[in-house]
Amino acid sequence: MILLEPHNFIIHTTLHEKILKPSSLDVQFVDFDGVRFHITTPERKTVILLSMHIKCWDELVRYGALEVLQREYGALLLPQPEAEYNVSLQIDLEQVPGDAESREAFVMSTALFKRNALAAPFESAFRTQKQLEASGGQGELMEIHYRDEEAIYVQAANDRVTVIFSTVFKEETDRIFGKVFLQEFVDARRLPTIQNAPQVLYSARDPPLEIRHLPDLRQSEDIGYVTFVLFPRHFQAPATASATISHIQLFRDYLHYHIKCSKAYMHSRMRHRVAEFQKVLNRAKTEVVASEKKTVSGRTLVSR
Amino acid sequence: MSTTCSQRQTPTRHLGAKRANTLKAERRPSIMSNVLRPYLAAVRSTLTAALTLENFSSQVVERHNKPEIEAGGSKEVLLNPLIISRNENERVLIEPSVNSIRLSIKIKQADEIERILCHKFTRFMMQRAENFIVLRRKPVQGYDISFLITNTHSETMLKHKIVDFIIQFMEEVDKEISEMKLSLNARARTVAESYLTAFNA
Amino acid sequence: MSTLAPIICDNGTGYSKVGFAGNSDPSFVFPTAIATRGSTSQGSRAGPAVPAKPGHLASKRGVEDLDFFIGDEALANAKTPGYGVHYPIRHGMIDNWDHMERYWEQTIFKYLRAEPEDHYFLLTEPPLNAPENREQTAEIFFESFNIKGLYIAVQAVLALAASWTSHRVSDRTLTGTVIDSGDGVTHVIPCADGYVIGSAIKHIPIAGRDISQFVLNLMRERGEMSTVPPEDQLRVASKVKENFSYVCQDIVKEFRKYDTEPYKYFERYDGEHTVTGRKYSLDVGYERFLAPEIFFNPEIYSSDFLTPLPEIVDDVIQQSPIDVRRGLYKNIVLSGGSTMFQHFGNRLKRDLKQLVDRRLDASVLASGSVLKSSGVEVDVISHKRQRYAVWFGGSLLASLPEFYTSCHTKAQYDEIGPSICRRYQIFGSAT
Repeated sequence: MILLEPHNFIIHTTLHEKILKPSSLDVQFVDFDGVRFHITTPERKTVILLSMHIKCWDELVRYGALEVLQREYGALLLPQPEAEYNVSLQIDLEQVPGDAESREAFVMSTALFKRNALAAPFESAFRTQKQLEASGGQGELMEIHYRDEEAIYVQAANDRVTVIFSTVFKEETDRIFGKVFLQEFVDARRLPTIQNAPQVLYSARDPPLEIRHLPDLRQSEDIGYVTFVLFPRHFQAPATASATISHIQLFRDYLHYHIKCSKAYMHSRMRHRVAEFQKVLNRAKTEVVASEKKTVSGRTLVSR
Repeated sequence: MSTTCSQRQTPTRHLGAKRANTLKAERRPSIMSNVLRPYLAAVRSTLTAALTLENFSSQVVERHNKPEIEAGGSKEVLLNPLIISRNENERVLIEPSVNSIRLSIKIKQADEIERILCHKFTRFMMQRAENFIVLRRKPVQGYDISFLITNTHSETMLKHKIVDFIIQFMEEVDKEISEMKLSLNARARTVAESYLTAFNA
Repeated sequence: MSTLAPIICDNGTGYSKVGFAGNSDPSFVFPTAIATRGSTSQGSRAGPAVPAKPGHLASKRGVEDLDFFIGDEALANAKTPGYGVHYPIRHGMIDNWDHMERYWEQTIFKYLRAEPEDHYFLLTEPPLNAPENREQTAEIFFESFNIKGLYIAVQAVLALAASWTSHRVSDRTLTGTVIDSGDGVTHVIPCADGYVIGSAIKHIPIAGRDISQFVLNLMRERGEMSTVPPEDQLRVASKVKENFSYVCQDIVKEFRKYDTEPYKYFERYDGEHTVTGRKYSLDVGYERFLAPEIFFNPEIYSSDFLTPLPEIVDDVIQQSPIDVRRGLYKNIVLSGGSTMFQHFGNRLKRDLKQLVDRRLDASVLASGSVLKSSGVEVDVISHKRQRYAVWFGGSLLASLPEFYTSCHTKAQYDEIGPSICRRYQIFGSAT
């Protein structure tokens, strides 16, 4: 598995299971970036309540998350979310489409709950870009503080949409591995096959120009900024736009996933190498002849 | 003991390996062994000579023999330590004593990545020191990894094979670290490419 | 961010149970299997991830080690050319660390979709696990995954904790005897105040797989299996076991009941041929009560293992220190799928009580009827969460506030190293 999938696996499997065989349930689980889910059947076995808590909900609402969710889920969206959660969906299992294909589509769209909520600022930036094409100038700088110390910044301009991720590495190893990875992101565009990909810029420590004026930026050794420059070709067609959104949201998780995978790979290598060294050292061991020493009375002597 | 004594006159040997050579060697492991050879040969002969250990009764309490180099209880059983240095980044410290010898290695670390990989590797190995008998759980200050060979080891194991092990370790650890670095880079490239290619789809 | 629920991972020999603390069931239960590229015959030492020859650089792409499947997907891909299925856990212990590390990697990122840096983890280990294994686990979780905190719990202790949900348990004690019967093997494990009494543990080579095989043998002898395709027979047998079996109080009476009123007691099983779709149906008879009977009368199935379960339990408790024996008799806890038979607990309790009473009577007699014991209380606890008792116990403990203080944190790991996991702290018990 190289790329991460945009949908939530637990929602996907749970819904499929419950459509076939409704039963009462009460489960809490999570998604990347500290998103919490709660799935329950409060009244009847056939009515499922799916609630989501997302850290940057207020910001997302400001950038139009409610409209996006309204568009995606329509009547499923509850006006009053469950306590302690930001947004809730009510799914009546008896209303789910019967044929396999549209059922899968329905389940999949529910599993993309988090993705859709986070899509709002991107969609709004893509719209702004279109408006600016004629007039020029720059759109509003949207800040999404999706993790405790990390944020996404999205800004539209007349010919592009800039997406900036701030990344923090908690550990020295991660920081160094991360640097190697990010450098490759910057360099990869030289390859002829991916010339069409968005341009990537990376700066450790210093924030890029677009966000330099923000007051609450932290300056330290472990922070880095990754800038993606999306051109209209990445979001002109609706299908590409939605693929781009799903994909770019997961950038941080993708990066951290691969840093962890590399460390796991290094562990495998080291295990192998250490085993090899062990073999070399074992050659030095001499066969100890185990001769039993006995006293006159027949007792055995044990030496250390 | 006489061999060890003779080396007291030349406590430090500097081998004139050039930096250019080391850089070239990183890419080509087969050449590296040639470049490394004099360095390793020096370590090998010094170590072989120093491995003249005897069962030395403790001067303090009967039957409480300790590796004197670690205990450091009495000065007269310690011999002069010596450093074999290839350049400022690669050196070996050999500290002999009457019943034990401590050998510490400073592994070449050209940049940040090699530093972290080397640190990870040596820590991983020292974590398994139990299996390695002659390996110390902590390195001596200023070095990356240390070995402690006592007279018990040299009695139960073949002396020249222990030396072989240490030489082979020195030979391969550099290679392993630069290979790990290369594979990290290759990996990062693939990861970046696959992420960016997905934008085309 | 400590509001995020801790992750509970119970990796067993056959199945892994993973999910989030606070839930009553694991989110995923799938086989502990991993399908990797490269044949199974390749030694686990060299591993496909590592170039075989030193000096040979890792192939240019460099991410072959990400090409693998776990769980059900692994078994589904078993037939795909180029993939080989491995089982990284053997006899409850991790056998292949390379595979296990990648197994965890995908469990976390693909299935749980959790950022391990934000979570605490609770892992389980079998009784008598080597501390080195615990250290290696800590090394993987703290170094590769940078998790916030780790707690490694003994499976038997978690099973005890799971029994607290039963209404018959009033005091939350961690003293008791755990009977853990899964697919491969059955353990009887005594615990005192949260610590396993290692010297007294006993294993029984009869478990779920043997019961299914026994059902299959019985049905074959009666000729019921003739309509079932051979490749489905074992599966059908295990379905029969799961759906119709129960433990009887007296075999002879039960046989008589079935013979006088067969229509009342015989059940029908309906199945369908997986390939042709042809329907078949079979009668389920004596195997309904004979199947679990092999725990109590092993001679009906095996010729080399002949000690009944109640006797084993009694032996185990008698081998434990004398001051905890009462506690062990009083709190016998069942865990695992093969203890799910109806009335299993009652039968075990009755048989064990008989053994204990007989010994007490003998000692009264031996003392010349002068000293009389006040009796020993024997109780077997069955509860609703028995099937995934270990996981559930973990979920229960990890939702207690003390969990966070009992965990080894990343900061402690960085300070001290993997050896911190040699020590572990009992918590949650009321006594």
